[in-house]
Amino acid sequence: MWRYLRLYLAFLRFSFSRAMEFRVDFFFRIGMDTVWYAIHLTFFTVLFLHTGFLGGWDFDQCLIFAASLFVADALQMTVFSNNMWWLPIYVNKGDLDYYLVRPVSSLFFLSVRDFAANSFLNLLMAIGILVWALVRYPEPFAAGTIVVFVLLLLAGALLSYAVQMIFIIPVFWLQSRAGLREISWSFSRFGSRPHGIYTGWVRRVLLSILPYAFVASYPVHMLLDGVTGTRLLHTFAIVSGAMTFMIWFWGRAVRSYASASS
Amino acid sequence: MKPRLFWQILSLEVRTRMSYRVDFWLNAVAGFLVELAVVWFLWQAVFQESGREVIGDPPRTFESTVVYYLCVILIGKLVRGQDWEAAISQDIYTGGLNRYLLFPAHYLPFKYAQRLGALGPGVLQFVLFGAVAYLWLGLDMHVTFAGAAMALSCVVVASFLYFVVDLVIHLIAFWADNVWSLDVGKWFLISILGGYMLPLSVFPEGVQRVLEVLPFRVFFDLPVRVFLGELGPLEWARGMGLALGWCAVFAALGRLLWWRGRLQYTGIGI
Repeated sequence: MWRYLRLYLAFLRFSFSRAMEFRVDFFFRIGMDTVWYAIHLTFFTVLFLHTGFLGGWDFDQCLIFAASLFVADALQMTVFSNNMWWLPIYVNKGDLDYYLVRPVSSLFFLSVRDFAANSFLNLLMAIGILVWALVRYPEPFAAGTIVVFVLLLLAGALLSYAVQMIFIIPVFWLQSRAGLREISWSFSRFGSRPHGIYTGWVRRVLLSILPYAFVASYPVHMLLDGVTGTRLLHTFAIVSGAMTFMIWFWGRAVRSYASASS
Repeated sequence: MKPRLFWQILSLEVRTRMSYRVDFWLNAVAGFLVELAVVWFLWQAVFQESGREVIGDPPRTFESTVVYYLCVILIGKLVRGQDWEAAISQDIYTGGLNRYLLFPAHYLPFKYAQRLGALGPGVLQFVLFGAVAYLWLGLDMHVTFAGAAMALSCVVVASFLYFVVDLVIHLIAFWADNVWSLDVGKWFLISILGGYMLPLSVFPEGVQRVLEVLPFRVFFDLPVRVFLGELGPLEWARGMGLALGWCAVFAALGRLLWWRGRLQYTGIGI
């Protein structure tokens, strides 16, 4: 455990020093995410000019949802995103060998090696927006509920990583450009809106096999409507199920890796 | 550049784009269905929870809002294309620009031909998805021949404008170490201010007036509304004038950056 922690600290050091080498990109990335936050806030502001509720939530509640989405996305962008971008390239070029022979978990190494220092500043910005959205909410939240909510958002980011990996791992067999990554990007659009707007089987799918509702919407649902044992159990089952499946899938993929480039 | 060479570059790019067939169709179908499903549920919720029959100015019903989005998604494939892999910034970063400078053809028309070729799959998707969605959803659309012809001219100009805006952003690579974020940021702005994320008709009146003169609406709002017959010949002509004006502005800026950038280009790559 300590060995992994020390290794991760080394990753952080390298990532920050590398980010400082490309300073213009560092600031461009911050600017890009600022625009992304602004357009989402604009989106909900304009939408609420025409309706009082969206998926059962009012404007203040949707603001908390949007801010939660920013945090979950920024977490994912900071910790996992760069690494998931490179993974299919390593597989297709036959460069994965260098990572498989190291004396640490290959999944750990390849998932968190590149810490996006520029996105880290955006994470701080996203947290700031979330704090602002929570503070301006008319009703106060209990401290315990906030703690659970933060844990659920962390779980949401982890789930987002696991689901995306499940779509990328097929690159080991498909020899395509990036596995099914672009499909996962398409599906993730479902998670960018409150899950209350979906009905019927689409909603059931988003709360089970394509669990994008758990990235931000379901944690906000628990924050606003109460944390219950059933809801927590549901979340735990989904996140642990996705992580377990992803780790098993990774093991299968690595075993079938032939080290031949395409 | 000779038309024959231009055509050869274009057709080569189309064939390259179609090479990963399973990937291409899986991504295209999933992307289209999800995009349409999300706007369907979103606007169904907005109309139901607001209790309104029509929304925006000009007013749209739920069905006409879905038709608007369907057209935006499909026309977006023609204007925006897919990821442009033959990106100019990559040529600058890798030093790959060197070989183009030795070619007996100009670099920028070469890139434009590649760009048009990259739109090939989008044209195919436009026709197939458009036909399937129209028949499957049974949408009420009244498209005239004149409207379709005017919309086509808007799409051609919008696609060129998208190219010259991209050009300006990618040429910044002569000075900046990475322009990917700028490129993505550009798409974010275009999607909200151009009518992709939301119809511009739902914005407040004052904002709509400002957006009338900015280049963003040229990409989606203008071609779609012309296609659906919401804008007449006079408004089409005004929109085209605006679009061509912005094309001239960005093309001039692109030429300036190209000229300045080449003076300091070393060809070593990073």
